[in-house]
Amino acid sequence: MTLAAPAEFRQTGIRPALPKLALPSGLGLPALVLLCATLLGALPFLRLLAAAFAPGWQFAPEGALAEITSRAAVNATLHTFETAGLSAFGALAIGGTAAILLAVTDVRGKRPLAFALVFSMMIAPQVAALAFLSLFAPSSALLGAIGLSPAPGTPNPLLGRGGIILVMALHHAPLVAITLWTGLRSVPHALVEAAQMEGAAPATIVGRILLPVLRPQIIAAALLAFVAGIGNFGIPALLGLPVNYLTLPTLIYRRLSSFGPAGLPDAAALSLLVALVAGLGITASLLATRRAGGKVEIERPLQPFWHLGGARPVVAAGLWLLIALKLGLPLLALIGEALTPALGVALTWQNLTFDKFAEVLLRQDVTVRAFRNSLLFAGSAAVILALLSIAFAYGLERRMGKLRRVVEVVIELPYALPGVVLAIACILMFLKPLPLIGVSIYATPFIILFAYIARFLPLALKAPVAAMAQIEAHHEEAAKLDGVTLWQMLRFIVAPILAPAAAVSGLMVFLVAFNELTVSALLWSSGTETLGVVLFSLKEAGLAGEAAAVAISACAVILAVMLGLDALGRKLPANILPWRI
Amino acid sequence: MRALATTAVLALGLALPAIDTAGAVEGKLVLYTSQPNTDAQQTIDAFKAKYPKVEVSFVRDGTPRVMAKLRAEIEAGAPQADVLLIADAVTMEGLKKEDRLLAHDKADVSAFPTGVHDPAKMWFATKLITTGIVYNTKAALKPESWLDLARPEAKNQLAMPSPLNSGAAMIHTITLTGNLPGGWSFYEELKKNGTLAAGANGDILRQVATGEKLYGMIVDFMPIREKAKGAPVEFVFPKEGVSAVSEPVAILKSSKNPEAAKALVDFLISKDGQELALKQGYVSAHPNVALPAGYPTRGAIKLMPFDAAKALADEPAARKRFSAIFEG
Repeated sequence: MTLAAPAEFRQTGIRPALPKLALPSGLGLPALVLLCATLLGALPFLRLLAAAFAPGWQFAPEGALAEITSRAAVNATLHTFETAGLSAFGALAIGGTAAILLAVTDVRGKRPLAFALVFSMMIAPQVAALAFLSLFAPSSALLGAIGLSPAPGTPNPLLGRGGIILVMALHHAPLVAITLWTGLRSVPHALVEAAQMEGAAPATIVGRILLPVLRPQIIAAALLAFVAGIGNFGIPALLGLPVNYLTLPTLIYRRLSSFGPAGLPDAAALSLLVALVAGLGITASLLATRRAGGKVEIERPLQPFWHLGGARPVVAAGLWLLIALKLGLPLLALIGEALTPALGVALTWQNLTFDKFAEVLLRQDVTVRAFRNSLLFAGSAAVILALLSIAFAYGLERRMGKLRRVVEVVIELPYALPGVVLAIACILMFLKPLPLIGVSIYATPFIILFAYIARFLPLALKAPVAAMAQIEAHHEEAAKLDGVTLWQMLRFIVAPILAPAAAVSGLMVFLVAFNELTVSALLWSSGTETLGVVLFSLKEAGLAGEAAAVAISACAVILAVMLGLDALGRKLPANILPWRI
Repeated sequence: MRALATTAVLALGLALPAIDTAGAVEGKLVLYTSQPNTDAQQTIDAFKAKYPKVEVSFVRDGTPRVMAKLRAEIEAGAPQADVLLIADAVTMEGLKKEDRLLAHDKADVSAFPTGVHDPAKMWFATKLITTGIVYNTKAALKPESWLDLARPEAKNQLAMPSPLNSGAAMIHTITLTGNLPGGWSFYEELKKNGTLAAGANGDILRQVATGEKLYGMIVDFMPIREKAKGAPVEFVFPKEGVSAVSEPVAILKSSKNPEAAKALVDFLISKDGQELALKQGYVSAHPNVALPAGYPTRGAIKLMPFDAAKALADEPAARKRFSAIFEG
């Protein structure tokens, strides 16, 4: 499928002499968009339905129903709801406060604060979980250094329900912040000025005007955090599995990894349960945002209006404290763990060692290969999706008409399904050789690439679609009068305009896919290990220090990419990089 | 298993002649293993030093997951692995029954006592890995018996790997429930004592070394190696005896490079390969290779009896029973 779009372009591109073939205002592009959406979105979902309710292509829903109503599934569903729900409230409180403080006050250092907040989100959830885990272990180098080591035999307080909720809330807080920043940009500053003329205090303006105006975005952000929490695998895998506190994604993973293909129908049935739970969240979110109503004409977007005065350093200190807790401490804990010579040994200047780094970066083929694979898979997915997003943005915005909503929902499906679930759908689709060509892509890099493209397409579309909506159609109409082909239109008119947005969404995809674990955990095979997979495997083999060294190295790569983007960002249109508020 | 330890001490093996067919073997080789990454990499590096033309890649995971992956691939009609180096012989017996293993008739096993390897030469033991008790040196109770773990001092302080994650843990569970007088009721008592059964051996090591738990059931080499690096852990061979796996190696019938696969097997059971196991801190299967530092003598390690054929038949039931006790 990944070849479908380029092939179509090539076909029309090779023969510019035959413009009629391209149907400039016709069906070529809509058909292509529909085909991609079906392949990437509908097919995995339908395959899952079939596997659950008609195992072996015989309609037999009893097995699936029994699995869904089993005690383990019911418990896992409850656990999923409570961790996702409570962590969404936490994320809303933390991320919402940070977003509003950074948007409306004159606190110093907004740029680095926002950058650090977004960077903390780019750290893979399983890495964040691992970091918090080592931070609170009785032997924690950090707790030891400040004389707060708990007594040996003290259970790690982060294992289990509370830890999952806490780490998830912190992890999804930037997601809430980014959503609210987008919303805050669409608030006209005139609203604030009117209130100020009435003599309203800044706190009153925030409480009585901003929050009510932002209600749809607040609900959407909370639901986004909720859906992300339902699908999250890394955090409950590291903090829940060791104490048998299972959520739906970890229950599915355990079923599948212990029972192999025999566990597939059960896993598929459980997957549909997750899809149902996540679907509730998405539907609620669609309802909430629909009530937002029409677009507001903005003369001047919201400016910071809250002069903190003497409280300025206090607020800044508070925000930096949050960053330190969310980003600094876990990173320090990871570094500590990577530098200690053995588990449970206190870190001192005399015994610190870079051996673990040398082991994973120089001696281990598999970790080096994992870095290369993750770069390659995330990079390819980013490039393909950036190109695809241009065609999709143009097609959705200009050519799809009423079909647009349907296509958008279909595309969203794989993003809404938890990664483990999408991986199962991919195994089901590709385990047997493909019909017609008789080649199996299972156990090749292409199955991971397919899954990444299906999963991250909605993410890649956000910026180009938004950009396309703001572009006046006169260029295209002028071009149409000249009788250009679809390929020429995309290549010479649309692509240059959408290029910055497409490039940025490609890079966002890269950042998310680089540390990804949930999809590749089930799809990797010899030679296609990803970073997430290696990290998880090292930890399970008792090599926690090596796992920490991999995690830190991966963070360094992410940081480098983000800094590069930021440098590039000065030349990009405003509001594209999420941390440039 | 028992034969391995008892006769191994007495048997006088002959050193294998140096193999010098390196030039003839080449191509790609895929190894599926449950060895920790570092060990797997060292094994491959040592093999490649002898056979530079062979390109070895490996997949590492707990034995059940390695098998889940392999089974999925077999179902898809494209098993990727050439060589399988996993925790236990029971799984190998299962594969042998299904006719998925390739016999390596020319393998030189003259140095080993009979009973160590598969008589049909379809799988070969590489090590002796026992499962005993690990404790944090700060713990008040120094356990000597499996039954000590059910004592009040160990309440909420014991962690053990889940047989769903580890092949060694599966054998251990079947051995222990088959040998302790209480059978499965011992595990039920452990559950009542707040025992945690989840994850793999690596998780147990981390929890006990970092002091999150004070006691654990674990494979021997992990705590013995970590202790040598300075970690505050101690390993105990309990007085009733320990369970053991032999980390067997086998060639899949579907191997695309059987020559290189055979070379790898030859290397693993050669004196050099076995001494590498010693260097990595394992008890090698070869009777003439010394034991790593930190172990008692071969004769002092008491193995509990274990019937592989029965274990193969009992495995699904044991899995269910364990799951019902600890995951309910």
